[in-house]
Amino acid sequence: MIRSETIVPRSLADALRVLIRRDVIPIAGGTDILVKLHDRIDRPWPQLIVLDNIKQLKKIDVGRGHIDIGAMATFTDIERSKILSKYAMPLVTAVSLAGSVQIRNRATIGGNIANASPAGDTIPPLFVLDAQIELRSAKSVRLVKIADFFNGPGKTILKSGELITKIRIPLSDYPGFFLRLGTRKALAISKVSVAGRFKITSNSIAEARVALGAVAPTVIRAAKTEKFLNGKTLDEATIEKAAEIVRDEARPIDDIRSSAEYRKNMVGVLLKRGLRGLMNGFVNAD
Amino acid sequence: MKLTFKLNGKKTLIDAPGNMRLIDLLRERLELTGTKEGCGKGECGACTVLLDNQAVCSCLVLSAQIDGRSLITIEGAEKMKEAEALRTAFAETGAIQCGFCTPGMILSAAALLRTHRKLSAAQIKRHLAGNLCRCTGYSKIIEAVEAAAIKLKNGKRK
Repeated sequence: MIRSETIVPRSLADALRVLIRRDVIPIAGGTDILVKLHDRIDRPWPQLIVLDNIKQLKKIDVGRGHIDIGAMATFTDIERSKILSKYAMPLVTAVSLAGSVQIRNRATIGGNIANASPAGDTIPPLFVLDAQIELRSAKSVRLVKIADFFNGPGKTILKSGELITKIRIPLSDYPGFFLRLGTRKALAISKVSVAGRFKITSNSIAEARVALGAVAPTVIRAAKTEKFLNGKTLDEATIEKAAEIVRDEARPIDDIRSSAEYRKNMVGVLLKRGLRGLMNGFVNAD
Repeated sequence: MKLTFKLNGKKTLIDAPGNMRLIDLLRERLELTGTKEGCGKGECGACTVLLDNQAVCSCLVLSAQIDGRSLITIEGAEKMKEAEALRTAFAETGAIQCGFCTPGMILSAAALLRTHRKLSAAQIKRHLAGNLCRCTGYSKIIEAVEAAAIKLKNGKRK
């Protein structure tokens, strides 16, 4: 087994300097990448950059009108954050349902985004929360909308030398939810997930946001469903119709985890569950 | 790379490849074979250790990631009162069958008991969801954790 030496930068500037080289891979919590590397244990590993010692990447800060979550904040950090429970409940719900305690103690939000799985559980919440992500290199920094980041399964717009450094969420306390289905409650990758967030004025929906996980090559916004919901009174007839629309908006495939038909149906079921919870005042129900 | 960390309360220095998995560092270099490897993919929890008092799968941590940090393995559990209470409770309750999952179970439960002394069975189940027992003796394991929690709570009052 040939293994090249790991790099452990002490500062973000040092990490970005090393990242200029093309043959290195940054490792965050390692809960995805080490599983992948486990399967190729007999071949040389790429050189890894460990980001654990860069404190600024772990911070969760409130700024003017937004919250900045450091890319190395773990799922446990997010689950325990009071400020995120107030302003980003769909995200807090998603991380608390993901993996197991051991995984949540290591898995990071930046790693979950970089892994770019259509089933990544932090991603649908970030879509409905209007998150932006900061991509930083030794020479540049840019802020992109989460929806613009993904090109396909495992494919992103991240350029060589760039690192995801933070996730920015605008402050807003509109109610929302995150619901998922997996083979078991713990440690299962989502077969389907739905996140929603709604601005509601006197029982009618002023603005709906719905995002779907694991039913397309990337997480997607359910634009037709949102358009239908906007301006509607939140009642049983609206909910049934919305579920019908969202089923047709999903573009799932058959794979080892589930079938396309089941996923289409379950997207409808999860949206109904979420909207009913909202109607009855149980927001963020799981 | 040169690594310095606290292992079961003792300052430890070792020269090891930074990308050696923590479980290999423990078992092969430090000869601490109490930590078991099950799946090697973070699904079974047999390799659970405490990193800065948090339960983690040692198959999904690299040696370079523990530099400067504190580590507790099952070999050092007797120094941690929660783990010691669990060890006794597991034996008394009969929560051990083949024993392969036990080190991981005890350390996972110890991390929970460090912060929570009043626990429902549902909380224990949720917390131990990352630890599989293929003998499927879960009822006794949950009973043992409940017993240890009660013991620790009563012990504190005295």
